[in-house]
Amino acid sequence: MTKKVDLKELDSKIQSMKKTAEELKQMGEDFPALYRNISRVLASIKMLELNISDVAKI
Amino acid sequence: MISKQKYWNPVLETLPHEKIRKLQLEKFKKIFSWAHGRSRFHRGLYDKAGIKPGDIQSFDDIRRIPTVEKSMMRGIQRKDPFPYGDALCVPLEEVSEFRQTSGTTGQPVYQADTWQDWEWWAESWAYILWAQGYRPKDRVFIPFGYNVFVAFWAGHYAAEKIGAEVVPGGVLDTQARILKIQELQCTAMMATPTYVLGMADTAKSKMGIDPRSLAIRKITCAGEPGASIPSTKKRMEEAWGAKVYDHAGATEIGAWCFECEAQAGGLHVNEAFFLVEIQDTETGETIEEPGRRGKMIITALDREAQPCVRFDSKDIIQWAPEPCPCGRSFRLIKGGVVGRADDITKVKGVLLAPSAIEEVVRGMDGLADEFEVIVDKEGDIDRITLKVEILKGREGERKRIEAQLKDQLRLKTNLGYNLEFHDHGTLPRYDVKAKRFKDLREKH
Repeated sequence: MTKKVDLKELDSKIQSMKKTAEELKQMGEDFPALYRNISRVLASIKMLELNISDVAKI
Repeated sequence: MISKQKYWNPVLETLPHEKIRKLQLEKFKKIFSWAHGRSRFHRGLYDKAGIKPGDIQSFDDIRRIPTVEKSMMRGIQRKDPFPYGDALCVPLEEVSEFRQTSGTTGQPVYQADTWQDWEWWAESWAYILWAQGYRPKDRVFIPFGYNVFVAFWAGHYAAEKIGAEVVPGGVLDTQARILKIQELQCTAMMATPTYVLGMADTAKSKMGIDPRSLAIRKITCAGEPGASIPSTKKRMEEAWGAKVYDHAGATEIGAWCFECEAQAGGLHVNEAFFLVEIQDTETGETIEEPGRRGKMIITALDREAQPCVRFDSKDIIQWAPEPCPCGRSFRLIKGGVVGRADDITKVKGVLLAPSAIEEVVRGMDGLADEFEVIVDKEGDIDRITLKVEILKGREGERKRIEAQLKDQLRLKTNLGYNLEFHDHGTLPRYDVKAKRFKDLREKH
């Protein structure tokens, strides 16, 4: 790997994205196209957490 | 640019081992607490053992947690919430995927996954494919019958995830698949070792196509141990002119280990996603040192709908003594999955692993790929018969082959065999998992 990775900074942006996605999900309870798509986005964000956020916390 | 990156996750795959252990412990606490809090099955098991989530502070604490066996899962399924029963940790409406085990050892186990779990499956496979050299420029052919078995489903999703182009070879027959690989110049493929060899045989003998003339340059195997058996791997690599890589996974577990491009004689455990413990089959003691075989107890650290916590997989494995030259800090298991605790059987009082017979047959010049082993009784005495095929044009070498085969079998398995020689192409062929070992003795 050539560039230094700042895990804390990456995690901070991931958490910000997660917060936005969770807010959108709450707003989409009567809006299937929003609710289901944002649920999938949250599953992808979880993969970012597994790859980056979890290790940033140890 | 990313194609030049050696690791799918340059942070996790090179993390110092003490940090991996710390990560595993933290993640284990979470999944244990999740299973205890949401699954009646798991809570019942742990309550009976007197273990609560707050009790887990170390790996020693983890070792005190009861293991889960496949038979226990069979016992709770096909009940409410139907069909998964009490191990389900999410409402049914959050389940997006159904798969089931193949039922090789009994009634199939049903497996629920949420979409997040399914993303996780694909993510685990992305580690595998990237380590085996798959990149966005690859065109990947997947010749498997997309169905209720997990097989290469997640490989398909992972190939898409890493940016490769996927050609699903679903219901096509073998010849149509070979023609499609040829037409599209596919560069990679995923299949069981049995089918990899079967496709090569069909291409050569029925279509006049040398598989080496096709563009396939890497093959990922699953479902059988063949890609970690040196003689079988060699046959596949020579037949296709391609690198053949192994990986191991299971419906109830996930894709937990993989061979990398270094082909160092072992498979990396994805230790960021799985906690693998090796247990002595006699004493139950945890084996930490390399070179000592035991059965695998495994935890999928991030799987939620139907958790896999300290699952007794019956797979026999051992840690490798040396790290892999590829630089990954994920530990290697030497020689892959070398057997199954319930596969190893006693014949004439000798412990026999069927993979040892495969290694001998596939390493024998003049024999075809297929073989069959039958264990039965002659009076009160065990009898073991090995059926093999001589390649066309090599029939004159039968005496030499027979003598070498007997010697090698005696050396590798410590047993004498009745040998039967058959014409090439006459033993049964299999498309997916082969059933070459048949124990016809009465079970007591």
